[in-house]
Amino acid sequence: MDDFQWKLRGRCYKLGHDVPHAGGVIPNSFITGRFFDPKDLVPNLFAETDPGFHQRAKPGDIIVAGRNFGMGPKMNGYIAMQALGLGLVCESMPFLAYRACIGVGLRTMTDCPSVTELCDTGDELEVDFSTGLFVNRTRNLTREYPPLPETLLELVRLGGNAGWLKNWWEGRHQKAASGS
Amino acid sequence: MGMTAAEKILARASGVKAARAGEILHPMVDFAMIHDGVVMGAKQELDALGIDRVFDPRRVMMVTDHDVVYLNDRAVARGAFNRKAAQAWGITHFYDAGKGGHGHIFPMERGIVLPGTFYFDNDRHCTNAGGIGALGIRVGAEISRVLATGSTWLLVPKTVQLAIKGRLKPGVYARDLGFQIGKRLRPGGEFGVDIDYRVLEFAGELDQFSLAARVSLCSTPTEMRAIGVFFPPSPEIVAYAKERATRPFEPVYPDADAAYDARIEMDVSALEPQVALPGGPHKAADLSSVAGTRVDHAFIGSCGSGMFEDLQIAASILKGRRVAPGVRLLITPGTEDSTHRIRREGLLEIFQEAGAFVLPASCGPCASGRMGLLHSGEVSIATAVANGAGRFGAKDADIYLGSPATVAASAIEGKITDPRSYLAH
Repeated sequence: MDDFQWKLRGRCYKLGHDVPHAGGVIPNSFITGRFFDPKDLVPNLFAETDPGFHQRAKPGDIIVAGRNFGMGPKMNGYIAMQALGLGLVCESMPFLAYRACIGVGLRTMTDCPSVTELCDTGDELEVDFSTGLFVNRTRNLTREYPPLPETLLELVRLGGNAGWLKNWWEGRHQKAASGS
Repeated sequence: MGMTAAEKILARASGVKAARAGEILHPMVDFAMIHDGVVMGAKQELDALGIDRVFDPRRVMMVTDHDVVYLNDRAVARGAFNRKAAQAWGITHFYDAGKGGHGHIFPMERGIVLPGTFYFDNDRHCTNAGGIGALGIRVGAEISRVLATGSTWLLVPKTVQLAIKGRLKPGVYARDLGFQIGKRLRPGGEFGVDIDYRVLEFAGELDQFSLAARVSLCSTPTEMRAIGVFFPPSPEIVAYAKERATRPFEPVYPDADAAYDARIEMDVSALEPQVALPGGPHKAADLSSVAGTRVDHAFIGSCGSGMFEDLQIAASILKGRRVAPGVRLLITPGTEDSTHRIRREGLLEIFQEAGAFVLPASCGPCASGRMGLLHSGEVSIATAVANGAGRFGAKDADIYLGSPATVAASAIEGKITDPRSYLAH
């Protein structure tokens, strides 16, 4: 059985529409400076809009964003979200921003229309990224949204691109060692 | 139900009979392309995992185009790193600084990118491949997985078909049209389509567009977030590819009953010369609305206008004329082959006699501010792919975009100028 934690339970952190990755999620200097280490990125998540966010965030918390979230194809901010154990649900995002989230192993659901109308910052949420079930415990409401595609579950479970590569490489070596 | 061109190419690369927009496939590349700025990150990522080889050293293209003259210590170190990486991986297609040129251009000239080719690239302007009827798909930092395995996951994109009606007037070029297409593709634009992660497939009266013009038309839709652009290759383009092909290839054409996300059309016959106003290549406006704006800086080149024919157009205007005092005109051929050709065919002399100067084959100033930059308050007219604040250095400098003809004419006059007055003579 898949023992990966597909269901997150935590507080909602709500953002509006058209929040860009550069500035809106992480300061642009960390993107252009090619910072990829969570140690550098975590303290700067939402640094321009909500300093100290990383100290208040808890694993399982869920960022809920509006339309067109994360403009730009870069991944630095999502590395920080993933390292903090957060999940991301948004009404829509450019496909390459979604790809960047999956590439770093962030539990992400997009194409969730009007989801920002179903919650507020601080609400108790429960989201299962493998089934698409969205529950707001505070408001006592439930919605079904498109889950992560089945073909991408393994990639996210392994922690994204780097984890997938590690697993693939080790698998090759094991095969070679067992002589198969 | 038939397939779009992109679906056909992806089906072939994935070893399946049919591909449909919306499904996730794992296509195998004909080759993988990686540009100079990201080799270090990819190599270090793979090294850290103990992955000491690439999937096929003969099918990895390492190109050097974003920074070829090493303007700081970091760039020097990166160049040295890349050379060692190429050696360690045994890369046969390693194009060092001064070899090859722009990775989105020279592989077409050298018969590496051919009609029907499929590849992954870290950089988004690999969409240029659509000019010759190929498909290059950007995967950013995930190029590491492609280097290791030759593949990664891909959501088959939807396709928007754009039918061109009518012919461009003399003196109006593909870049002019590209800015207008960008304006109409933007969210809320006249075409009323969503182009995010779509392939823009051209149709209609395409025989008026040479390979260089088609490559030019790939540029602005990419800035509007198209993941691909595709032109069905003409018999001339197929013949061009055959002359230089380094391997067998099969041109791909969409089926008549392909399923499109949207079908739009555009009559181009009344289009006037355009500029893109500072802020983005989609901010198209009639050139006449800004004619006379003083310029300090002019740049011809980039993956949007860096083919030999673009240089020919500029030379036809600059021949026997001088760049205005106080204006610096920078010309960046897209490729090393074009650099040799401008010398052999006399264009270099025209540029030099006009007072322009020629930079090495590369992205030129368009690679996010590395050479030939602007000072605060200066104004540029350029063929770059983008013109957001700070693209050429100073954030409060204004960058207008135009066709190579417009940039050449504007450099001569020292102000934004309709090139048609020069073409008449």
